[in-house]
Amino acid sequence: MRLRPFTLAEPESVPEALEILARFDGEARIIAGGTALVPTMRLGLVAPDGLVALHRIPALTEVDAERGVLEIGAMTTLAVLARHGAVRSSWPLLAQATGRVATPAIRSTATLGGNLCYAEAASDPAPALLCLDAQVRVAHGAGERVVPIAELFTGFYETALASGEILTGVRVPAPPAAARSGYVKFCPRSAEDKPLVGVAALFTLDAAQRVETIRIGLGGAAPTPVRAVGAERVVQGQILTDAVAREAAEAAATEAEPLSDVMGSADYRREMIRVWLRRLLTGLRDGRPPA
Amino acid sequence: MTLSFDFTLNGRPCQAEAPAHWTLLDLLRDGLALHGTKFGCGEGVCGTCTVLLDDEPVRSCLVLAARIRGRAVVTVEGLDREGEPDPLQVAFARAGAVQCGFCTPGMLLSVRALLAANPAPSEHDVREALAGNLCRCTGYTKIVEAVLAVAAGR
Repeated sequence: MRLRPFTLAEPESVPEALEILARFDGEARIIAGGTALVPTMRLGLVAPDGLVALHRIPALTEVDAERGVLEIGAMTTLAVLARHGAVRSSWPLLAQATGRVATPAIRSTATLGGNLCYAEAASDPAPALLCLDAQVRVAHGAGERVVPIAELFTGFYETALASGEILTGVRVPAPPAAARSGYVKFCPRSAEDKPLVGVAALFTLDAAQRVETIRIGLGGAAPTPVRAVGAERVVQGQILTDAVAREAAEAAATEAEPLSDVMGSADYRREMIRVWLRRLLTGLRDGRPPA
Repeated sequence: MTLSFDFTLNGRPCQAEAPAHWTLLDLLRDGLALHGTKFGCGEGVCGTCTVLLDDEPVRSCLVLAARIRGRAVVTVEGLDREGEPDPLQVAFARAGAVQCGFCTPGMLLSVRALLAANPAPSEHDVREALAGNLCRCTGYTKIVEAVLAVAAGR
């Protein structure tokens, strides 16, 4: 079963890639790892005349954690991030979330940039990056713009990228060293699936054990990955008691706008957000986060 | 549109020509007549098309053939050592980890990658490494036993 024939361009720089995309005038797709695009093409859901592959642009696979900010080239694979020493020590939430995507043979191929551009609502890395206040770098004909990750996802499998633009990198500020963070991926079918819901949280405590800052990111909770801002507000400034965790979980379940699909109903997703956010918050408080 | 490129196949230099829309699996099976690597789901889910690309397991049904330029590919045909089967192949046969055999090439390469990165895996590590390789015959128990036996030098 072959893919429908297409023209393949393999540019060796971002400017060259932009030029080729402009020439295709919207009739080409960018291919990163291909783990999402190739099945979509095989199913006939998209049938591009051209593919612009980014795998021959060396700058896009660089990972730089030297200056306290993590700069990740868009073509960096999820496997590289999950085992990267500096990522594991200073951005453990990202290492954890990228290490939970699908299976080893997918993580070796799938890229962070591709994952974000696919804009899967149940992405594993996206909720983590929402908690980490990440930004994405977007190249276009006239230069570059920087987009906060929360503004990248605009709808069901839709992003803020315009035709002819390329997401070239992800910039992740370092969280405070004392921050507690974790990601729970709830899969009712099998472990390598995308999650029914994914819940990420990152918070810091002050000297009186009150929650100083908190971010909660959700996957599968809406048509896009989202932050649970209402739940964050419940916890902010509070001591994270069981009651506060329950109230935050309730708020997240209420503000979620999940879809129903073959994996589960919207009601089931809401219920699982309630369960897993409560367990994650109390688990991080107690130093025993759920795996 | 046809591409021409060099790569390493099972330890030997290889030159290939492939239409641009071919995947690595198309190239292996139809261009190079290496039929050990199977076409299962075509969506990267079942794992039977797994091969090694620069020592990492990949789904050959998802990887464009163009991606292997200058890189090293290992398929099940490259596992034997001077005609002797790989210890994993012996262990699979001995443990009864093979029934219909359709998943076996992908299983072997996923596990080969695991043992290269982690020569002393736990049972949990083995199950994680095989999470994306589906087997509808064995129930996995014998496969995990075979891998642990090789890791333990048995």
